[in-house]
Amino acid sequence: MKAIILAAGEGLRCRPLTLTRSKVMLPIANRPILEHVIDSLKENGITEIILIIGYKKERIMDYFEDGLNFGVKIKYIEQKAQLGTAHAIEQAKNFIGPENLEFLVLNGDNLVEPKTIADLLNNYEGDASLLTVRMEETAGYGVVLKEKKRVTKILEKRPGDLSRIVNTGIYVFTPQVFETIEKTPISENGEYAITDTLQLMIDEGKIITSVPTESKWLDAVHAWDLLKANAIVLNSARNLKLEGEVEEGVVIRGKVAIGKNTRIRSGSYIVGPVVIGENCDIGPNVVILPSTTIGDNVTIRSFTEIQNSIILNDCRIYSHGQISNSIIGSNNTIGSGFFVEEKEGLSIIMNGTIHRAPKLGTIFGDDNRIGNSVLVKAGVTIAVDCQVESGNTIYKDLSRHSVVL
Amino acid sequence: MCGIVGYAGENSAASVIIESLKKLEYRGYDSAGVSVLGSGIDTYKSVGKIVNLEATIPNMISGNIGIGHTRWATHGRPNTINAHPHNSGNPCKISVVHNGIIENYMTLKEQLTAEGYEFKSETDTEVIAHLLHKHIYEKPDGKEAKCELLTGVRGALKEIEGSYALAILCADEQGKLVLARKDSPLVIGLGKGENFAASDVTAFLNYTRDVIFVNDFETAVLTPTSVEIFDREGKVCEKKIEKIEWDFEAAEKAGYEHFMLKEIHEQVSAIHNTLAGKVSELEGSISLKELNMSEGEIKKLSRVQILACGTSWHAGLLGKYLFEQLAGIHCDIDICSEYRYRSPVISDGTLAIAITQSGETADTLAAVREVMSYNCPTLAITNVVGSTITREANSVLYTRAGPEIGVAATKTFSTQLTLLYLLAVKFGLSRGKLSPDYVKGFITDLRKVPGQIQQILNQKEAVKECAENFAHSKSYFFLGRHLNYPIALEGALKLKEISYLHAEGFAAGELKHGPIALLEKGTPVVTIATKGQTYDKVLSNIKEVKARDATVIAVADNKDTEIGKYADVVLTIPQSSELLSPLLSVVVLQLLAYYTALARGCSIDKPRNLAKSVTVE
Repeated sequence: MKAIILAAGEGLRCRPLTLTRSKVMLPIANRPILEHVIDSLKENGITEIILIIGYKKERIMDYFEDGLNFGVKIKYIEQKAQLGTAHAIEQAKNFIGPENLEFLVLNGDNLVEPKTIADLLNNYEGDASLLTVRMEETAGYGVVLKEKKRVTKILEKRPGDLSRIVNTGIYVFTPQVFETIEKTPISENGEYAITDTLQLMIDEGKIITSVPTESKWLDAVHAWDLLKANAIVLNSARNLKLEGEVEEGVVIRGKVAIGKNTRIRSGSYIVGPVVIGENCDIGPNVVILPSTTIGDNVTIRSFTEIQNSIILNDCRIYSHGQISNSIIGSNNTIGSGFFVEEKEGLSIIMNGTIHRAPKLGTIFGDDNRIGNSVLVKAGVTIAVDCQVESGNTIYKDLSRHSVVL
Repeated sequence: MCGIVGYAGENSAASVIIESLKKLEYRGYDSAGVSVLGSGIDTYKSVGKIVNLEATIPNMISGNIGIGHTRWATHGRPNTINAHPHNSGNPCKISVVHNGIIENYMTLKEQLTAEGYEFKSETDTEVIAHLLHKHIYEKPDGKEAKCELLTGVRGALKEIEGSYALAILCADEQGKLVLARKDSPLVIGLGKGENFAASDVTAFLNYTRDVIFVNDFETAVLTPTSVEIFDREGKVCEKKIEKIEWDFEAAEKAGYEHFMLKEIHEQVSAIHNTLAGKVSELEGSISLKELNMSEGEIKKLSRVQILACGTSWHAGLLGKYLFEQLAGIHCDIDICSEYRYRSPVISDGTLAIAITQSGETADTLAAVREVMSYNCPTLAITNVVGSTITREANSVLYTRAGPEIGVAATKTFSTQLTLLYLLAVKFGLSRGKLSPDYVKGFITDLRKVPGQIQQILNQKEAVKECAENFAHSKSYFFLGRHLNYPIALEGALKLKEISYLHAEGFAAGELKHGPIALLEKGTPVVTIATKGQTYDKVLSNIKEVKARDATVIAVADNKDTEIGKYADVVLTIPQSSELLSPLLSVVVLQLLAYYTALARGCSIDKPRNLAKSVTVE
């Protein structure tokens, strides 16, 4: 079976991290969400993958290339205009078939495990099947109404308590779906949505079945949801390897992975689950606590403590820092005495809407330069290419290219 | 550059050879051909792309032994007659493909003509075909073989001067082909029930990863089930089978329109790989395990002699500044094709550093052989494991950039530079010229470079827009001072290579000594104006240019608020140390060249007249 992965969108709600990469490339346990998705497909024997790309496509292409290093074959198709999921799937029409075989469609930005995919592959039937999960809080998700297995109505992200059965956006289609896609009308927000296509199929009397799963399916709606996903994935991680150099006097407890050419210097204390990438220089006397992921080519200097955070590639964090419940984008330079405040139950306003965040420190985009002794208040985000001079306290969000003197 | 392939196996030789030739396309070529050994020898040739050749070959052609060639014209125009293979005998007895240059071909041609051999082409290679025929069949109309093919080859090669990698078929020796090499690359691939030969492993990596590198003066006999290699005296020699590790698939475009853009993007990971395991930020130390030099030897160095061509020469020129500024070692740099002929003076305490992406550049190899004949220790900087230079130089530093397919070098340039920085700083530290504290700061800055390159790539749209605005200029100038002078030269070379625009790079201070006369209203002048000791001087140069109504495109730090007052267009790089800023500026210039060529509709990965690996002198 071939799979189409939708990976063209930006992921607006994951800004500032998505200012420089798309949501599918956000890392969980040091691997992009999309890599977790591709791995789960491969585990199910699906190795022919069509990636629909658009926003910041080069980041995806640079990482996955032709898929050889990931054990799959990847064909890239660019969706030039972001006209919705049905339009995205339609781009792959010429690469499905010519045989009348079913194919899988899924989102590149939802984390799935192999079992999740297997649940659908073992149980799909009818003209199309969709995988569902049961959730208590369904705000922000599309839900379905059904009679036994058969789906009777698809409802896209709207308020109300009509159903707790959430559509995961993982589908099995036959090539006939392309005929209905062509007939799908444009929605109110100017997109051709695959959910509208499915509703059209239901209205035409076709059989759409729902397959429930209890396996892992995580949707990082907001950037801070990555911390939770990261912790979950780290907890269940297997085959962690210590490939780098660990100096004498380092204490390592629990599950810890250390990449090639990384050096952990004496006196450091690491409590897993923790994953550290390649070519890092950590310590001496650095404390890394669960559940933390550190990317490649990162330097962390003495007496810094990091907890439940994600640090992306190419960062340098100097001494006496304290970072917890935070995400630091790539290529950030953070001076000595950096301190992140953290709070629970924050209300964060994005584009005029209030979002509730769990325990959160800060979120940094890429390429920022932070001086010494800087304090960042809880829930404040710093965008991209900002400069903060020493001694400042950051009380509010910094937009791209900000300078704080 | 010319590429040869050979096949002996169970499958249709013609189709395997066509596939292999396609993999060699990146080397650059203007015509191609194939010979297949069946009951006789059938030869097909065509001008232009391999697909043209494919079209001339009938479907039912049988034969499991064959040879093929992509030609990059040196002797004689690109046409079907000059394309290889070249044959001798009527009906055809001998068929030859050749990469290299036969230096005494005129003399041989006269002799053979006098003996009644009729020449059809203007090439040097046809001489080899007839000479082989003479050694085996004695006269032009000879029908009976007087000796074995291998014996004939050995006899003929004694008369030939020059360089060659050869694959040869003989109509009277079924089931085999013969190979020979001197000064041109040749590698054998070992399959199951089939064997391959080629100028470059990429030709057969789809079939096998087990290879044997053939050395100079060796000959080989390839059959579907055996490979025998003989040394100069004709004795069988035992050869090591090596495994090619890198992924051929990495040589596919993976969604990109051109290899060049893909490779520009790959600089982020390429520099990561080059640095991996070599630097320790906290200790301020650099370890180059592959460098066979003790601290004592480094201290005793009195001179560095850099040898390189083209883009590698530009990397070397920056290397000269680095060795002198950071390590206090006198450094010379030469263009390889000039070096041999200028009676170089090589004193004791000299280290020669040869820089070549492919490790097969004929000019560079010749220069290396020249310095090594003076017992001068030689260090090679190359990207290709197992290439000729790695077997000749005393030590080798690999750029680890992965296969580079685009003819215009990008990621290999920046990784060559990265190694030169590491070498110069290491030498400076060993010689007490630099303090460990300085080196620590340097390593911190160097480790920032991959992230900063990504930052430039994130905003490449600005470069694209600029390129489109100036794509139809008649000519382009590039100015830089100090460390950015080599970058200005490289920026101009990139533009020349792929966009066919006239472009020249100058030391900014030289402008007023002549080239300024060329400036016209609107001529784009790219000026590298990053912050540093020459910044103010560069600003004056910008004013000189503006005074002649030319257009200034400045490459500057993104925190520079002043430059916008003088330059018409500002392309920015992230703020970095003056020392390392060339690694960032060059990325902007690579993108500028790429988008200019794209806007002009040029063939970016295979520019006209150019070859990736230049294996002729």
